[in-house]
Amino acid sequence: MYEFIPKYLPFFLKGLQHSFILALVPLALGFLVGLLAALADVYRGRTASTLISIYVEFFRGSPLIVQAILFYWFIPQDLLGMRIDRLMAALLVFTLNSGAYQKGYIKGAIEAVHEDQMTAARALGMSKLKAIRHVVLPQALRIVIPGWTNEYASMSKSTSAALAIGIPELANISMSVASWTFRSFETYTFTALLYFIWIFFSVKVLEMVYERVKIPGFEA
Amino acid sequence: MPDVVAEAENVWMEYKDIIALRDVSLQVGEGKIKVLFGPSGSGKSTLLRCLAMLTKPTRGKVFLRGEELTSPEADIDKARAKIGFVFQNILLFHHLRALGNVTLGLRRVLGLPKQEAREKAMKALREVRMERWVDHYPAELSGGQQQRVGIARALAMEPEIILFDEPTSSLDPELKGEVLDAMKDLAKKGRTMLIATHEMHFAREAADEMIFQDEGRIIERGTPKHFFTNPSTDRARRFLARLVREGQSNV
Ligand SMILES: Nc1ncnc2c1ncn2[C@@H]1O[C@H](COP(=O)(O)OP(=O)(O)O)[C@@H](O)[C@H]1O
Ligand SMILES: [Mg+2]
Repeated sequence: MYEFIPKYLPFFLKGLQHSFILALVPLALGFLVGLLAALADVYRGRTASTLISIYVEFFRGSPLIVQAILFYWFIPQDLLGMRIDRLMAALLVFTLNSGAYQKGYIKGAIEAVHEDQMTAARALGMSKLKAIRHVVLPQALRIVIPGWTNEYASMSKSTSAALAIGIPELANISMSVASWTFRSFETYTFTALLYFIWIFFSVKVLEMVYERVKIPGFEA
Repeated sequence: MPDVVAEAENVWMEYKDIIALRDVSLQVGEGKIKVLFGPSGSGKSTLLRCLAMLTKPTRGKVFLRGEELTSPEADIDKARAKIGFVFQNILLFHHLRALGNVTLGLRRVLGLPKQEAREKAMKALREVRMERWVDHYPAELSGGQQQRVGIARALAMEPEIILFDEPTSSLDPELKGEVLDAMKDLAKKGRTMLIATHEMHFAREAADEMIFQDEGRIIERGTPKHFFTNPSTDRARRFLARLVREGQSNV
């Protein structure tokens, strides 16, 4: 039944490689965006919080696929009259999208430790910045891992939105393979299996990391 | 009069719908042990927090060794490094072992090199008899042990004064003793301390002066002997009688 798969395996792997890039780069950059947004939301004034909530609601409030189309076609090409690389557009929009979600997780973790731990750190004579760096974040970034793992799994699957702007990632490749071979069922079950393996093992690794670094007796 | 270490001068703390401190003045001299007591909500924590500038009083002045901390030019972080604070709910850093809890301020605030910070921290931990628990995380220690680490954390900074905010009130009765013993040791070594507590046994033994506070005001001050034989205000007398009756303390 699946005998044709090996012949197309190089395509699948190429697709998977694109999907990896589309997930890992935005997850990493989105972490920086989310971290800065969370810190600004908690420790800066009202204006910062308002701007951040506009940003977050924008990216949470519409499907990623629609955002990808907006950021590839309409905003740069129709509005600004310039061409941008598909992959760059996808990485940009995925980063902003993931950053919006990661901000929520990180902010929650910061707030779980902030008040008391900040007081104890300030009482020792630490500046706010030092307290954030040496006391609040080391704890918050540990307890955020389980939430972050969800975002990882979610982002990995969401990379398929990039097919809307013609990036040959895994979902896009499997549509092509299905149309070349007329073997939709096998093609898509195999594709699903690839996503499953990827996410399953990544999540296991993240769970192991969490077990290693978590603070004994302290889970928020 | 010995040198004044910490001082509050006509301090007020006004919250939206409550006045937590009304015109409180207080001085703690070098080497003195002062005990602050009074009903819950009388403003003890607020006063201690103001002295450490963890909250800024709405009116009045706070001094440390004559330097006005309430002045806009004061370097508050620097002043806090010289004021030890021991919290009612302990507040150890969850992610650090006992030793790490004590070295953090030495390394990141005082900027000591690793080895020196370690030695100082060990010395402080020995003073509270916690040297055998240095590799334990807070969650792996009993409440009494945690609070002793909390004391060591303050002590290691070699502060001018240590402020204690009901250091034993969150502990089970059988764990209070070890913390009070550690505090008595510090008292004997001539540390300057201001302690909010209802442990009247401890106060009788260690305090140079006791300060009774109610509804944000200092109502009466005097030696332990004065309070335990013949307090002059009704309020203090009633409060002390209630402490005894409720068995919170056997005077
Ligand atoms: N951050 C705050 N905001 C509003 N009211 C407060 C705050 N902190 C303390 N209070 C009020 O101030 C009063 C004194 O509180 P506190 O200093 O904690 O008393 P104590 O330590 O003697 O129990 C209480 O009525 C308390 O509710
Ligand atoms: Mg209190």
